Amino acid sequence: MKAIEVEQLRKIYRSETNKPLHALNEVSFHIPQGSICGLLGPNGAGKTTLIKILTTIITPTSGRAVVQGYDVVRNPLEVRKQIAVVLQQTAVETMLSVQDNLLIYAYLHGVSRNAALARMRSVVEEFDLADKLRETVQDLSIGTKRRVQVAKIFMVDSPVIFLDEATTGMDPLMKRRVLDRIRTEARAGRTILLTTQVLSEAEQLCETIMIIDHGRMLASGSLQELRRLSEQLFRVSLSFAGINGELQNRLEALKPVEMTIDGKNVEMVFRGEESLLLDQFAEISRSVPITQFEIRGADLERIFLALVENEK
Amino acid sequence: MNGIAAVFYRDYRQRITNVAWVFWDLFVPVAYLMLFGTGFERAFAERFIVDGQEVRYAEFLLPGVIAMTTFGIAMNTSWGFFMDKDSGIFYELLTYPITRQQLLLGKICFNVVLSSIGSFLVIMLGVSVLQVNIRWTLLPLTFLAVVVTTAGWFFLFSIFAIRLRRMDSFNTFTSAAYIILMFISTMFYPVADMPAWFRIVARLNPMTWQVDMVRFSLLGAGSPTTIVLEGLAFCAFTVVCLVFAVRTIDRAA
Repeated sequence: MKAIEVEQLRKIYRSETNKPLHALNEVSFHIPQGSICGLLGPNGAGKTTLIKILTTIITPTSGRAVVQGYDVVRNPLEVRKQIAVVLQQTAVETMLSVQDNLLIYAYLHGVSRNAALARMRSVVEEFDLADKLRETVQDLSIGTKRRVQVAKIFMVDSPVIFLDEATTGMDPLMKRRVLDRIRTEARAGRTILLTTQVLSEAEQLCETIMIIDHGRMLASGSLQELRRLSEQLFRVSLSFAGINGELQNRLEALKPVEMTIDGKNVEMVFRGEESLLLDQFAEISRSVPITQFEIRGADLERIFLALVENEK
Repeated sequence: MNGIAAVFYRDYRQRITNVAWVFWDLFVPVAYLMLFGTGFERAFAERFIVDGQEVRYAEFLLPGVIAMTTFGIAMNTSWGFFMDKDSGIFYELLTYPITRQQLLLGKICFNVVLSSIGSFLVIMLGVSVLQVNIRWTLLPLTFLAVVVTTAGWFFLFSIFAIRLRRMDSFNTFTSAAYIILMFISTMFYPVADMPAWFRIVARLNPMTWQVDMVRFSLLGAGSPTTIVLEGLAFCAFTVVCLVFAVRTIDRAA
């Protein structure tokens, strides 16, 4: 079953000079239930606009977006019953205690008092907030405020979770705990759509990745599919006994997209056929012994940069 | 918990954790009543004629102070929208499974409780300390007026609290509203002897409608026909402000 379905979605803002600004342009995709999907893109790409439409904060200019079978324009209240959201900006009740923040969030999502109190006990344990329950949120550090904001969504059992750069400002330990929790939730059948600037996070976590820029979908698919889409990018790590000018010239002649030399070690990124690349390195190794050789698919950061660069 | 009750609880927790806020909500009108009621009555005018009925200044002022209570509480609660925007929670609230109407109605319910407590306090002080004679039988009408008018003022201020981006702009607006609406009305003095322009503005001012309604219910002063028309006008004002407030929330995102 599709948890989120988006068809030809467009959002046009009007600037102060009345000039139309296409925040989203004919975006289409779907996310199956129980999966984790990463939405990537540079700043201003349209990620937050897309999240705002899917969470019913704003309406699209045209197109259709459906969450758990409910249209975001026709049935916004039903959509809101299906979702829990962590927005990009910190959103906590600063004048209230951590306990009030958690309980009020649950009450506003229709959870009864007893159920909310029971849930709160497990959530505060998990997010290391037990000793801060009575503290006013405005007295907490930025990272802890963010933790409270993320902890809130686990006070309810909404089938779809939206995380807009949710782990920003968290310490690495807590970040790992949140990522583990997200995986557990997905295994339990909850659908997660997240945006992040930390590409390694998306790489570890997401089954599907979508890359958007200037309001348009550049690519979507699994990491493997994106590797194919990004015109066969490969990362090659090499070690030599020594690197002289001639060897450096031979390596540069292979026309890598990127090359870094660090002492005897070389990191290169190539675009092309893997077999052709192997032949070229075999040729070099006949005259200059290669002490270590590793070839692997490009990481998400490289794919992301390649796709965005291609678009430009 | 249903949406309106949850919003009510949220507002209750916000206010109860800031006792100073509640204190000023209730203290300011009480201070006006005691200081103006005692001072003006002795210094300038012991008695007024209002629609043919002679009343003491403290009696004349009491309904105005109730109006001031509802007005001040509504203004302070709408200021909460600024705090919500500042803390980022405003946009998150829009993703919760409650309607915009439930959000406003939950807030208004808490306001009404606070306004009713404030009004009751003012009436009790007026009766016990300033010896104001009121019509106890029409007290439910007074509280009905308190409910409707608190809602009307809150919806009006909410429109500006949500629309305006800068806190100083909102503060300027509320200060101007405070001066114009309260002082160009029948709150502190009868307007019959005022210049024509003043009387026209006062007649068009919802604060006058509110004060007249409360004055009629508490003291019996005023023409019933005028009071009914003013009551209907205030109800219409409240509905229009509610519609605009909901629309403003929708557009705020």
